[in-house]
Amino acid sequence: MVDDVRQVRRGWHWGEVKPRSWPERAPAVPDRSSNLGWARAEPVRSARWLLQKGVSLPFTRVMANPQVRGAEWMESLERPAIIAANHASHADLQLLLYALPDRARERTVVAAAADYWYQRPWLGRLVSLWLNTFPFSRTGGPQAVLHHSSQLLKSGWHLLIFPEGSRSADGRVQEFKPGVGFLARETGAPVVPIHVRGGQRIMPKGRAYPLPAPAQVRIGRPLQAQGKESARAFAGRVERSVRELAAGTDEPDVIGSWIERWRAAGPPSGAAARRRS
Amino acid sequence: MSRPGAVLEVDRNSPPTLFHFGEGVRLERLPLGSRILYPPDPLEPIAHPERAIRRALAHPLDDDPLKDLLRPGMKLTIAFDDLSLPLPPMAQPDVRQLVMEEVVELAAEAGVEDIHLIVATGLHRRMTEDEIRHIVGDRIFTTFWPDCLYNHDAEDEGENVRIGQTSDGHEVTLNRRAAESDLVVYVNLTLVPMDGGHKSMATGLASYRGIRAHHNVETLLGSRSYMHPPDSQLHHSCIQQGRLIEDHVRVFHIETSVNNHAFPTVANFMQKRETDWTPADQATYLALKQLSDFAPRDLKRTIFHSMKAPYGLTGVNAGQVDQVHERTLDVVRKQMTVEVDGQTDIVTMGLPYLGPYNVNSILNPVLVVCLGLGYLFNLYRGRPVVREGGVVIMTHPCRYEFDSVHHPSYIDFYDEVLADTTDPGQIESKYERRFAEDDWYRQLFRKSHAYHGVHPFYAWYWAAHALDHVGDVIVVGGEREVVHRLGFKAATTLADAFEMAEQTVGRYPSVSHLRTPPLLLADVR
Repeated sequence: MVDDVRQVRRGWHWGEVKPRSWPERAPAVPDRSSNLGWARAEPVRSARWLLQKGVSLPFTRVMANPQVRGAEWMESLERPAIIAANHASHADLQLLLYALPDRARERTVVAAAADYWYQRPWLGRLVSLWLNTFPFSRTGGPQAVLHHSSQLLKSGWHLLIFPEGSRSADGRVQEFKPGVGFLARETGAPVVPIHVRGGQRIMPKGRAYPLPAPAQVRIGRPLQAQGKESARAFAGRVERSVRELAAGTDEPDVIGSWIERWRAAGPPSGAAARRRS
Repeated sequence: MSRPGAVLEVDRNSPPTLFHFGEGVRLERLPLGSRILYPPDPLEPIAHPERAIRRALAHPLDDDPLKDLLRPGMKLTIAFDDLSLPLPPMAQPDVRQLVMEEVVELAAEAGVEDIHLIVATGLHRRMTEDEIRHIVGDRIFTTFWPDCLYNHDAEDEGENVRIGQTSDGHEVTLNRRAAESDLVVYVNLTLVPMDGGHKSMATGLASYRGIRAHHNVETLLGSRSYMHPPDSQLHHSCIQQGRLIEDHVRVFHIETSVNNHAFPTVANFMQKRETDWTPADQATYLALKQLSDFAPRDLKRTIFHSMKAPYGLTGVNAGQVDQVHERTLDVVRKQMTVEVDGQTDIVTMGLPYLGPYNVNSILNPVLVVCLGLGYLFNLYRGRPVVREGGVVIMTHPCRYEFDSVHHPSYIDFYDEVLADTTDPGQIESKYERRFAEDDWYRQLFRKSHAYHGVHPFYAWYWAAHALDHVGDVIVVGGEREVVHRLGFKAATTLADAFEMAEQTVGRYPSVSHLRTPPLLLADVR
């Protein structure tokens, strides 16, 4: 160890004159720092697994003893999905991660507000390490966000987003923004609606620490955008589904030839044709 | 604008040089005056891969748009390269996934009902479910697995057909489904100039009877090098077979190339020239060095093999194979070529943890030879970097360590064949047929995830040209008994290796170091 450090310390002579044959210095590696790829690579994944299994999940259990319904819908997923949940508290994310089956949790990235969590670099890195978040712009151009999010979905990651855009002040479900619809139509990914109840009592907006309170998480049947359904209409359907879960209900899915399965698993033909033109 | 490849001379100000050492790394001091060959920096990737792919399919080279070739009622087969490409495996989404999603979408629009996707494994091992899913993506996998998405089986008598014979008298075989299809779409990923072209179909969907036509000592000795197809008998033979296949079945080729961005952010320092290292790179190196010195082997292997490369797509071409391949090679050469003046007495190379045949597995001693003397030695155009009779020095722990699931025939090859002789010609005539036709290896190849019984022979033949060319091979850091079994010399340190090499090439030898990976192609003048 000591020899290695000495070798490295003495090995580089930054201040010395370089021979003319040496090329200009260059970073050589394209800058990809903004996508936080390290947070989804080893050994960070293993570290996160340890943090969650060893700290977050037991803590969540002690604080909320969450009752989870519908986890089988997550287990039935055969491809990456968009997980859309209501949002009333910072505690919601912990409750959601608690509710997901192990395999799904390890493959879930969380869209975190870029203007809130990523203003301070250390905080951004910390939440990326702990919760596998990535910066999701609430104000910037939709194209860049869509592109990055669809890349993650195509790479096999579930994408957890809060379509309301911000925490609800009174715990009631607010109107969903159409982004979830755009993303689902662009990528063809199914959307899993989830309703979290109780987060607001654990840590309401404005309070900096959690207090124990019971919580329930209800996971609904995955939804797929239909043929001519617009992004806004689909976002509305997801919102209704979350509201129904809050009250307590669900719907059916597709089987048939490979073309039907392919269509069901991907963007509707209208979108494919538009993409092609 | 990325920098081109470079040859740097070691002087007193030069930082130490990175050597890969299996699942580990080392910094070594090369003698003053040695030259280090660096590959070009990664080329700028195509900004919108999906758009480029759609354009390539709509405007193919010397062929009709793919859309016009698809019709209801036809039999369509999509074949694609297996996990031996690229190295390390590509982070998702793999470019083959992006290409195949477009092809399948076109097929769905055209109403093609009979479609199969085949992993063109040739004599490589069957890929696992997870490995296939990683390459094709979730959407294709859930739609087609397992009935219409599967591995090629080169040993299934009923599922391989004889297409005919080339003018040289070599037999040509092909996967039955592909042979009976109205259209075969081959989706390739070309990492080095050896890949792609006619070789894709002629090896990927063939059986042992077809592949042995070019995977033999005579052909490989006549391939100088097989990284430069015009001077490669291996490729001439594949072209003959490929043309015969094209006469028999309609093939639409799609070739992709990627840049050499081979390491994820955590291992950036491996990608960079030492002169570009920052303090952060030095710190990462130190951390990885300690890990590789002290961590258990299994943990190291898990960490190294979990690295996925963030390659960027640099080219996608579709259409007739010759035109497509020429375009692809232009980009690949641009990414790899470094111009070198003359040969040297000694070539040094640090062997990494990964070669084409040990993805998610162990680089056993036979594969060490295949990687060093087969692949890295042959990364040249014109003349080898080391002069005839010169010395190759490789760094690798070279342990007696095998993966019994993936490489069962390698174990017997090492224990039985190499104990007798290391001469490729003798090995071929005396042992090849027995291993190739062994029922147990055949069973493991077909039902488990083992490489074909003959595969260790091919790995060894791959090094035939180097063994014929060099005067000595020294392995630094290798287990002495293993290195001797391979027919080489073992050294403890690089300095010792240079000392030993002087006995072969004389005092004050000239030295070149191949700083790879990322891979380079030395254009030796």
